Amino acid sequence: MLPWNYGFHWNIATIVFMGAFYAVLAIVGATVITAVLRSRGLLRAKKAENMRWHSDFKHLRAAERECRHNLAGEMPGRLCSHAFDCRECKTHAKFIAKHPPVRPQEAEEEIFGMTFPLDRLYHRGHAWMRREADGVVTVGLDDLGQRLLGEPDSVSLPEPGQRVVANGTAWRARKRNAEVRVLSPVDGEVLETGGPSRGWYLKVKPDNRNTTHLLRPHEVRPWLMREMERLQLALAGEGAAPTLADGGTPVADIAASYPEADWDAVCGEMFLHP
Amino acid sequence: MDRHFITRGVKRCSTGRFLLWLAPWVAMLLFGLYCAGLCLVKGLNQTNMDNRFAFGLWIFLDLTVIALGAGAFFTGFLVYILKIDALKSVINSAVVIGLVCYSGAVCILAVDVGQPLRAWFTFWYPNVHSMLTEVTFCISCYLMVLFIEYLPIALKNRKLRDVPSLLVFEHEMHKVMYVLAGVGTFLSFFHQGSLGGLYGVLRGRPFAFREGLGIWPTTFFLFILSAAAVGPSFILLTTWMVQKITKKRLVRPGTLQLLGRISGLMLAVYVLLKTVDTIVWINRTSPGSGFPAEQFYAWKPFGVWILFAEIGLFGIVPAIVLLAPKLRARTGWLVSAAAMASIGVALNRFVQTVQTLSVPTLSFDKFMTYSPSWQETGTFLAVVAYGVLVYSLSFRYFRVFPEERELAIEAAQPDDEPALVGRY
Repeated sequence: MLPWNYGFHWNIATIVFMGAFYAVLAIVGATVITAVLRSRGLLRAKKAENMRWHSDFKHLRAAERECRHNLAGEMPGRLCSHAFDCRECKTHAKFIAKHPPVRPQEAEEEIFGMTFPLDRLYHRGHAWMRREADGVVTVGLDDLGQRLLGEPDSVSLPEPGQRVVANGTAWRARKRNAEVRVLSPVDGEVLETGGPSRGWYLKVKPDNRNTTHLLRPHEVRPWLMREMERLQLALAGEGAAPTLADGGTPVADIAASYPEADWDAVCGEMFLHP
Repeated sequence: MDRHFITRGVKRCSTGRFLLWLAPWVAMLLFGLYCAGLCLVKGLNQTNMDNRFAFGLWIFLDLTVIALGAGAFFTGFLVYILKIDALKSVINSAVVIGLVCYSGAVCILAVDVGQPLRAWFTFWYPNVHSMLTEVTFCISCYLMVLFIEYLPIALKNRKLRDVPSLLVFEHEMHKVMYVLAGVGTFLSFFHQGSLGGLYGVLRGRPFAFREGLGIWPTTFFLFILSAAAVGPSFILLTTWMVQKITKKRLVRPGTLQLLGRISGLMLAVYVLLKTVDTIVWINRTSPGSGFPAEQFYAWKPFGVWILFAEIGLFGIVPAIVLLAPKLRARTGWLVSAAAMASIGVALNRFVQTVQTLSVPTLSFDKFMTYSPSWQETGTFLAVVAYGVLVYSLSFRYFRVFPEERELAIEAAQPDDEPALVGRY
């Protein structure tokens, strides 16, 4: 095996055999070491949340990865290839340049019996963000998200000073058997958190003002239409769909209406956790 | 109890029921470990092997599981190198099967060779002219590669993903998987071939001896081809079995048909070359060694039927079924053909191992039969139990079939989909 071993002879067979064997070991070793080093670098750069989202996004079903322009009927059949980060999407930029968004006045606040105020932008994972006068951003859970969680059994908010990244975990909540990560709509530093009395929220000092990736009020209706269909489908998976009345309004605590359903699966579907 | 370790959105039985399923396999594993312990402590006198019959049930099992586990390397090659994305839904399962097969084979080899504390000798003082050395090195390396390939599957576990370092490492490992798939293909190519070559170079055993290209006898290439042919079939078969046992749809029917088609294509090439090889052996190699080929089939129970069964019934027939689109589209035909192909490769390895050693080659030799002792059988069963346990645990806690959740949602969707979608 090695030149200093008893009986070792240099010949073609030895060189070929040892060469192939050590080459394989070197390639495998180098591959694993590369992965370890790159992982270390990414951890230091605090990219874990970002990577988690990209990894999760790959595992979302096609119906969950629909492009916002597909939801609005502007680009039928198009799936998102940028993990819902339209800031990186050239197609979105071109489309917006050609077709500027309609004014918020044309949108509505009450959709399917739920309230979606016009003063904020919405994330596909049922969080919203509102820019305050002082430049700070408030992050909260939209009406459908609140109805899905009802009164959570427990909530784990980040500490002030902690960082959140867009599509990363903003805070965690537990409802029955469901462990939910509410996805953050913005990048920034948490300044303040709010408890149940004022609805769960975060005050975040944003890193930048780019909110291209968030849904505008006029986009909420088509998105919510698809969300209600997805909810119905998720409940159908739990054998509960027939009890959801056509066109009805979701109750304040949907989970309470389906005590037998695997709420972890339903929330996973709706909060984009594959 | 273990709900939060199970992939979100997939249904698994209760913990109690799962433990009940595991119990008999654990019992079988413990019994097998006792048998293996006896062989290791007391020696190979616990087996029915001897100096003449040095290869028995264990080597037959090794050769068979390594051929069946070839689905891991071949599917990896198809997915990561040839970029056949349709097979992504079975690649994890292929890796688990490959890991089970190869680690099981190495464990049983450790019992067979004995003296595990001296196992490192084979790496330190290798005989570079021996096919077995190549097999040892390639299998060890490939097992290491399989463990590394299995890591990202395990790290995808829901709870482990909450650990940022593991999450990032899993993601990075996934990026370099094509390198490991390439290395795995290289290693598998050579060790499958060397396992075949091992028999082909036995000049003293004219039943197995074959001529070939350069230093490689034809069995070198036939083993590679047969393993590549039957690997996808075995993945098809196991996927279908898991679907039946769990009563779930895990992959789309098209994926199973694609596996069948690939397997059929490879099997057809293999059967063609095996037929040519057999004809050459009957007419040239065997008579050249001083033995008319029919003489080898004069010893019962290894009559000519075994040759026809291997090439015809378990070779040509499944190849035709798997290549015929209409037959392949029917699950019954597809699965039966995959099972027949798997049996065919097992029969081939049995013939190479047991029949080769059974037939006499010297004038004073007698036809010998061999049946394994209960200790050998127990050790064999331990590997089976180990395989079922690893696969069961992987299936329960890891995302072995990535499309499972999507298929479950599709299945829950009523047939009158338009009535459901669009109510709002």
